[in-house]
Amino acid sequence: MTELILQALYSGLLQGGSYALIALGLALVFGTMKVINLAHGELVLLAAYIAYSVESGLGWSPLLAIPLAMLVVCSTSVMVYLAVSRIQKDREINSLILTYGLGVMLTNLILLVWKADVHSTSSSWMQDAFVLGPFFSMNSEILFFGVSVLLMGGLWWWLARSWYGRAVRAVSSNRDAAKLMGINPRSTELVSFVVAGILATFAGVALFSYGVISPSYGGVLTIKAFVITVLAGIGSIPGVLVGALLLGVAEALTVTLASSALQDLVGMGLFLLVLFVMPNGLFGAKRRRG
Amino acid sequence: MKRNTQVLLALLASYALVPLLFGSNHYIMSMVVAALVIGGVALSWALLGNLGGMVSFGHSAFFGVGAYTSAIVSMKLGLPVPLSMLLGGLGAVVASAAMLPVLRLRGPYFALAILAYAHIFRILATEWKPVTGGAAGISNIPRLPELLGFDFGSKTGNYWVILSLVVVLAFAYQRIRKSHYGLALRAMHESEDATRVVGVNSTLLKALMLVVSAFMCGLVGAFNAHYINFLEPDYAFSSVWVTLPIVAAIFGGYRTLTGPVIGAVAVYLVDQLVFKAIMPSGHQLVLGLLLVAMVLLSPDGLLSIARNMTGRRHAAA
Repeated sequence: MTELILQALYSGLLQGGSYALIALGLALVFGTMKVINLAHGELVLLAAYIAYSVESGLGWSPLLAIPLAMLVVCSTSVMVYLAVSRIQKDREINSLILTYGLGVMLTNLILLVWKADVHSTSSSWMQDAFVLGPFFSMNSEILFFGVSVLLMGGLWWWLARSWYGRAVRAVSSNRDAAKLMGINPRSTELVSFVVAGILATFAGVALFSYGVISPSYGGVLTIKAFVITVLAGIGSIPGVLVGALLLGVAEALTVTLASSALQDLVGMGLFLLVLFVMPNGLFGAKRRRG
Repeated sequence: MKRNTQVLLALLASYALVPLLFGSNHYIMSMVVAALVIGGVALSWALLGNLGGMVSFGHSAFFGVGAYTSAIVSMKLGLPVPLSMLLGGLGAVVASAAMLPVLRLRGPYFALAILAYAHIFRILATEWKPVTGGAAGISNIPRLPELLGFDFGSKTGNYWVILSLVVVLAFAYQRIRKSHYGLALRAMHESEDATRVVGVNSTLLKALMLVVSAFMCGLVGAFNAHYINFLEPDYAFSSVWVTLPIVAAIFGGYRTLTGPVIGAVAVYLVDQLVFKAIMPSGHQLVLGLLLVAMVLLSPDGLLSIARNMTGRRHAAA
C-alpha cells in the first residue's frame, strides 16, 4: 500500500509539471490584462493535435512538431489577444463571453479537422518504462517533466531579469504606474499572450506524448488551470507551481485509491475547499489589502 | 396601453396561430418546442447576467439537475408530473447553493467556478448508478398528463406548456426587475461599492438572483425530461445547454426581456435548419463565431439595434 501511494505521489508530481505550464500561461495573461482566457485549454489541445498530425502523417517524433505547433499556437494566441483588446465596454463580462466563444470555435475546428476520435502517441520510446529506484514512469513523463522544469526556470529568469519580463510584472501590479515608467502596456499584453502560447505548446505536445487527447478535453484543461491559479492565489507565480503539483498529486492519489472516474471531482473539491477556507489562495494572502 | 395591446397580440398569435399553422407538422412543432426550451434557459441565463451581473457557463448543471430530479421523483416516488417538475426546479436551487461561497469573490471567479461545477454534476450523474441509472440513463420517463379532458402530452399540449412556462418566467423576471430589488441590482451594476455603502446587502441579492435563475432553468430542464422521456448524463449536462442559450441571449440582447427568447427561436431554428444541414458535425463553430462577432460588433444584441432604429428606447436592466 505504501508503495502504491509513493508511486502515486511520484506520478502526480510528474503530471504537475505540465499542469504548471498551462496554469502559468493563464496566470500571465490574467496578470497583464485582467482577462481569463477561457480558450487557453483549447490552445494546449491544438498543439497536441498538431503533434499528432506530425507523428501520424510524417512519422516524425512529436518533439519535432514543436516549432510548427508553436507557430500555430502563438499566432492563435495573438488572435485571441487582438479580439479581446477590441472589446469596447463591460470588459470583464464581455471578455469571458468572447473567449468562451473562441473556445467553442477552436473545439469545433479541432472536431472538424481531426474528428472525434481519441488519440495517443504511437512512439514506443515515449511509452517505454523509465525506472528510477522503486518508481516507474514513462520516458515521456520524465522527459517533459524535465522540459517543464527548464521552462519554468527560464520563465523565472525572464520575469526577474529581462526588460519585457519585468514590464509584464510591472503592468500586472500597477498598470498606470507602469505606463508612467515608459512601458507600453499594449505590447506588454501582447508579449504575455505570446509567452502563454509558448508554454501552451510545450504542455500540448507533452499531453499528446504521455496521455490521450480528444476534442472536448480543452475545456477540462482550462478548468484545471483555473483551479490551480485559485489554489495558488491569483498573481502568485511560485504558488502556481505548488498548486499544480498539489493538483497532480491529488488526482494521482484519487486514481490509485478510488477510481479514475472521480479524478476530476478531486480538483473541484480542493477548489471549493480553498474558496471556503482561504479565498485568496494558499499564497495570495498578501494581496488582500486595499 | 399600446404596449399592452402589442403584448396581447403577440401572445395570441403564439398560442393560437402557431398550432393552427404547424400543428399537423410534427417536425416543425418539435423544433419550435426545442427552441422554446432553449429560450427558457436563455431567459434564466439573462436574468443572472443582466440583474445579477454574473456570467454563468454552468447552466447545464441546473438544467440537468432539474431534469434528473423531476424524472427520478416522478418515477421512484410516483408523484404527478407537474409536482415533480416543481421539485425539479427546487433541486436546481439546492444545487445552486453550493455556488454561494463563490459569490463573495469578485471578478472571473464565479464564471469559472460554475464552469467547473457543471462537470461535477455530469460525473455524479454517471457514477451514482443506483439513482441515476449511470451512463445508460433513464428511459420511459412519464409524459405530461391529461387534465380536464385535454392531453398536455400531445405535440400541441407540450407546445402550450413550454410556451406558458416561458411566458410565466418572463413575467416573473419583469416583476423582479420592476421591484425594489431590481432597483438595488441596477444600482449595483453601476457601482457595487456605492450600493453596499447605502446599506444594500449585495451578496444576498446576488445569491437571490442565482437561486431564481437556477429555479427557472431547473424547471425548464424538468419539462424537457418529460417531453423527451429519456435522460442520459451526456445529454442532460451537455454543453449545448450552455452555448446555445448564451448565443441566443447575446444575439437577442441579454439586457432586454424578450431578446433572449426571440434570439433563442431565431438562433436555434437557423442552427438546425441551415448550419446543421451544411456541416453535420462541428456546426457549433458557427455559434462560436456568432458569439465572438456579437461581442465585438454589437454587445447589446441585434434587437437593440432594431429598436433604436424604430425610435423606441429601452433602458438597460
